[in-house]
Amino acid sequence: MYYLIILLVYAAVDVIACLGLSQQFGVAGVTNFGFIIFQAAGAYVAAVLALPPDTANGGFQTYIGGWHLPFPLPWIGAAAAGGLLALPFTFLVGRRLRGDFAAVGLLVTAVLLNLLVMNYRPLFNGDAGVAVVPAPLTGGMFVGTSSSYQWIFAAGGLIVAGAVFWFVRRITESPYGRTLRAMRDNDKIADSVGKNLLVLRTGALVTGGAIAGLSGAILVSFIGVWSPGEWSYAETIVLFTAVIIGGAGNHVGAVLGAVLVPVGFEEITRFISNNNPNLPPNLLPSLQWVAIGVLIAVFLWLRPQGILPERRRVIALPDIGPARPAGAEMTHARSDAARRRSSGTQILQATDVSKQFGGVHAVAGVSLSVDRGTLTGLIGPNGAGKSTLLSLLAGTERVSGGQIRYQGADVTALPAYRRARAGLVRTFQLASEFKRLTVLENLLSAAPGNRGDSFAGAVAGKRYWRGDEARAIARAQALIEDFGLTRHANDYAGELSGGQRRLVEIMRALMTEPDMLLLDEPMAGVHPELARRIGHALRRLCEGGMTILMVEHELAIMDEFCDPVIVMAEGSILAQGTMGELRNRSDVVEAYLVG
Amino acid sequence: MSLLLASVGFGLITSAVLAVAAVGFTLQFAVTDVLNLAFAAVMTAGAFTAYLVNEQGYSVWVALVAAMAASSLLSVALNYFVYSPFQRRGAAPITLVIVSLGMALIIEFGIAAFAGGVGVSYQMSQGRTITLGGLVLTTVQLTIIGISVVVMAGVHALLRYTRLGKAMRATAANRMLARSSGIRAGRVIATTWAVTGALCGLAGTVFAIDIGTFDSSSTDIFLILILAAVFLGGPGNAYAAMLGALVIGLITEVSAVYIQADYKYAVAFVVLLAMLAVRPSGLLGVKT
Amino acid sequence: MSAEAQADVQAALQADGITAGYGGDPVIRDVSVRAEPGTVVSVVGPNGSGKSTLLKALTGVLSVSAGRVQVQGRDVTRLAPEEMARAGVGYVPQVDDVFAPLTVRENLEIGGYLLHRRELAPRIEHVLAVFPRLGTMLSRPAGKLSGGERKMLAMGRVLMLQPAVFLLDEPTANLAPAIAATLLNDHVRQLAARGAAVLIVEQRARAVLAISDLTYVMGGGELRMEGTPAELSASPDFVASFLGGHRSAG
Repeated sequence: MYYLIILLVYAAVDVIACLGLSQQFGVAGVTNFGFIIFQAAGAYVAAVLALPPDTANGGFQTYIGGWHLPFPLPWIGAAAAGGLLALPFTFLVGRRLRGDFAAVGLLVTAVLLNLLVMNYRPLFNGDAGVAVVPAPLTGGMFVGTSSSYQWIFAAGGLIVAGAVFWFVRRITESPYGRTLRAMRDNDKIADSVGKNLLVLRTGALVTGGAIAGLSGAILVSFIGVWSPGEWSYAETIVLFTAVIIGGAGNHVGAVLGAVLVPVGFEEITRFISNNNPNLPPNLLPSLQWVAIGVLIAVFLWLRPQGILPERRRVIALPDIGPARPAGAEMTHARSDAARRRSSGTQILQATDVSKQFGGVHAVAGVSLSVDRGTLTGLIGPNGAGKSTLLSLLAGTERVSGGQIRYQGADVTALPAYRRARAGLVRTFQLASEFKRLTVLENLLSAAPGNRGDSFAGAVAGKRYWRGDEARAIARAQALIEDFGLTRHANDYAGELSGGQRRLVEIMRALMTEPDMLLLDEPMAGVHPELARRIGHALRRLCEGGMTILMVEHELAIMDEFCDPVIVMAEGSILAQGTMGELRNRSDVVEAYLVG
Repeated sequence: MSLLLASVGFGLITSAVLAVAAVGFTLQFAVTDVLNLAFAAVMTAGAFTAYLVNEQGYSVWVALVAAMAASSLLSVALNYFVYSPFQRRGAAPITLVIVSLGMALIIEFGIAAFAGGVGVSYQMSQGRTITLGGLVLTTVQLTIIGISVVVMAGVHALLRYTRLGKAMRATAANRMLARSSGIRAGRVIATTWAVTGALCGLAGTVFAIDIGTFDSSSTDIFLILILAAVFLGGPGNAYAAMLGALVIGLITEVSAVYIQADYKYAVAFVVLLAMLAVRPSGLLGVKT
Repeated sequence: MSAEAQADVQAALQADGITAGYGGDPVIRDVSVRAEPGTVVSVVGPNGSGKSTLLKALTGVLSVSAGRVQVQGRDVTRLAPEEMARAGVGYVPQVDDVFAPLTVRENLEIGGYLLHRRELAPRIEHVLAVFPRLGTMLSRPAGKLSGGERKMLAMGRVLMLQPAVFLLDEPTANLAPAIAATLLNDHVRQLAARGAAVLIVEQRARAVLAISDLTYVMGGGELRMEGTPAELSASPDFVASFLGGHRSAG
């Protein structure tokens, strides 16, 4: 019977830890190879908060604190410690460092902290750790308690696990959770639609850290000893294995993985080995680790999505009647804003902007201004610097020189997400949808001002953000209908055709309620008929007060929809005018023919 | 003062061992695009192979050659059966990193299951002690430093002056263009695994010689030192790895003079983390 | 040239009915081109007309879904890029065209990877005779060269093997006009002078026409026109095919 209690408590601990990791790795895409140290930190803090000031153990161990706090304060303290410990890690997961390098950095940090703790006696009692940690609500250790207490403890652990499950689900299924998943799928694009990656990743680290800390608290209350050697980085791999096997991003999968791998597989084989004294002492534990390694490789090869893959979030859409012409919805939404901001005719000005890549002047001293409400075309031969110029205007690339003013303010130094929040939003030439979000979710992820799109909002619950979400869904639905993608609203964006993915991108940009759109070849790879529909939709958006600057190589589109058209060649602006005028200018013709 | 000098001596030995490993690791990464965290486990496999050969009565220096062969084979097999299939399928870099951790577990604990997890040592003499202007080193330690210097020169010659080395650098710089120039990239990559695997086995054995008694988990911390050396200089660059190894080896040992010896690795790691945060491309960074 | 006459001369490069793309809909459909030894054949057309895709299909970088590519009479349609080099095809991509961390000399040596060691030095001499400028910067890393120098190195690297066919993808992109003109007039023409066939894809239609023996005009992933430079320059459709605005795929 006692063995069953052990299994239940371990199940609670591992389920909680796996949920934390699932949230971090599966949902937010932060690969934290140092995950286990958050559990260790939580366990330590829970231990020292619960221990009396001078241990009855004749002073064989040293530790700070010793406040002998009543339950549940040690556990709460453990969660807080796990969360706080995450803060110094955040410098590794910012915008600059590629994911696998950041993972290596986290691994290194985990090993470093483990080493420090093992060797620092005044605070952590060195590698001896601390012992005789009292179980909650009792004076003594868990092993000395009555069997009914033990059952209640196990049940309590499972209840906490249930609460954590409820918590991570609440976060994941909120608009904030959707933003985390968007960042996981493509962080650069998330940045471009106004998401602050550093804050999001910090949030994921802190949340996961707090959950890991809590799991550590339960563990230390149960076993009564805390020894730093138990938390080696290999334990993190076990949890990763559990989450990968269960299904990264699916919390039920994380629970399943926790039950299968650390509980079922590890604890049960440990039991076997303890009961077979004839086996060499190290053999079974070693083979366990070998098996973990094999499981990782086999699962990533055969079923990388796990036993229970992340589910597709289907959002039921009400039938809103026959499709209206594309852009109609936005036209109404924009006209107010356009009137409000009608001060000044120019929305965007670039002065002497340049960009060099290793000696090549991709953009060489471009000055241009874009008038409010225009659909301005940007054309030019290959290598003229059109896409680079767009990146400079959007903030995806930093200028080498010059100044960019938007809505009268100097935005030259602002990063992309800040410009996006100010209403200057770009799309990309290459497919850039969030692949494992549905079409609808792709759009919703870009909706600004959703109260649920923050950690606090997500915790506050669906009631708090339901209204914003419903408005966003209505707007997204209207756009999707306008652009004729209703049938695909709940399909994964990554599974659409190339042309449809371009539409998703344009719609997603429109969802940000931009004042100005920068479109990079929005019609490339799109069927000609669809391209013209997009053109009409863009035209109407501009009539509603929006401003669009569009790179496009198809001159027929320029003819029909864009005025004025700017011609770039060799990093500079060559001419500006209607397409008809430009066609009659010999220098433009020459630029195209001579390149 | 003599304490400082002695620590410099220790630092040089650590640097020597580290340089062999770090150069192997970074070349592997540059040419094959695999951030192989099983590298330290393969080192251990080499060290144990050398132990088995040494037990048969052969000199440790003969055993060292066997270790190089074994680690080389193991690395080629890892690529052929595991990494390369994942890469052909277009797996994300982070997936390969996780897979390599799985491989590390299999190798390290496979050895533990086999060897019983107890510490072993080579049967060898440490040789005479030699004093060189304040530095006190044994002939074995000097030999390790000598081997490392020869290996560094060899790697330099390989990369600069041989057809294979140039093909490796070309493949690392631009795989598609290398193929368009007639380089059979698959073969160059397999050969790179063989060469860097041999370096790995060499590093594992001299590491084991240096620390005296080793077991299946002895290289765990050393992996972190390798990563520190590689990322400090700039990942993917052999010369950067040499520089990184020198800096990390000296920092760890010399700092042990001034702070508690148990913390000596911490200094190196702090340097590395600061580097990752401030300048991810490393001191001599090229490949990003 | 009549069809019968074409059959008599063995083309260095002959591609028939090439259809290729990046998965999904094909980007180019049923494109046939041919290049004789000692000639410069150009492929021009507006952005997105499928010129570069054609070149990638010819070099084995991109897989061909239909059609056949022959080099000197040998079927090379689905060969891997490394085997293309052995079959006598030298490819200069538009970007990533040199090994940036390697020196100029090392780039040339890699270009001559398939040569015997003894042939290396004379070939490098030969390449330096064609591109004298490179001789003054042999130990400089390729990544530090100027745009024009870099392109010369890219062409020189391919010249090391003296391939039967040169495939050049927009060699003058990002180059200043004067440098572009030098590159086309002095160097590209020279590649053909020794008997190789040069297939060049270019944005600078007028400039490349001047050095071409035969020109194909692409649009919307298909061949639109074909003719000698004189024929094309005289045709009103030629200018229209650039600025007239046919709808095209990617």
